[in-house]
Amino acid sequence: MSAVATNDQNRLTEEDLLRAEMYEFLAALLRQEPSDELIGLVAGLKGDNSSIGSASTVLATLASKLANDEIRDEYMRLFIGVGRGELLPYASYYLTGFLNDKPLAKLRNEMQVMGIERAEGVKDPEDHIASLFDIMAGLIRGTFDAPNDLAAQAAFFKTHIDPWAPLLMQDIEAAKSAVFYAPVGTIGRAFMEIESEAFDMDEAG
Amino acid sequence: MTDNTEKTGVEHRRDFLKKAALSVAAAGTAAVASKTASADEAMEVTGSGYRETDHVKAFYKSARF
Repeated sequence: MSAVATNDQNRLTEEDLLRAEMYEFLAALLRQEPSDELIGLVAGLKGDNSSIGSASTVLATLASKLANDEIRDEYMRLFIGVGRGELLPYASYYLTGFLNDKPLAKLRNEMQVMGIERAEGVKDPEDHIASLFDIMAGLIRGTFDAPNDLAAQAAFFKTHIDPWAPLLMQDIEAAKSAVFYAPVGTIGRAFMEIESEAFDMDEAG
Repeated sequence: MTDNTEKTGVEHRRDFLKKAALSVAAAGTAAVASKTASADEAMEVTGSGYRETDHVKAFYKSARF
């Protein structure tokens, strides 16, 4: 018998809450150029000796030492650019080499079944990494009117995130323009490994 | 990695996540997450999964796949 959360948010375990918050943390940093407020919050991070912990400490140091405008410029160079950024953080692009390709179509179909859609005014296609992380957080929390048990989370993760997000995180770590965002990539990569391993454990049982 | 007790996959998963969660909790990323724009802002729940509003129809039409 497991205490895995169902659509009842009150039964969210502590570790599932932390998972949802980690997805939301990464989504917040990757969705758009960071506000002064967000950078200020990041400056307060303090980690232990783990991969995520030490990357968080580095990130916090950078948040306090770099000028906020510099951090925003870095975001623009990495992900927006003129025409395109150094990186294209879209599932379709990583999986097929093309934007707006079959992986995006598949995601849109699933979103329709899940009863969610991109909010008005959001310009990016739905397969942007931040959007996928938002969906994972929503699944964990039971925000959407769709099955959100572990099997549903694992299926979504394995189809839409696991095949490419670790590569994106590595690319962010290694990107020419990345200074502040390099430890974001490290945290993302470590978290993707944790998620992948944890889902596999559930299956093995 | 053998246990004396028989643990299910789900229990292994929870133990594993608890350890990993310590790093996450220590870092304080939760505080950042709770104060930022959430999925609520970027995603909208359409309500009924199968109802197609004009808005959604136009959206999918524009996608042209």
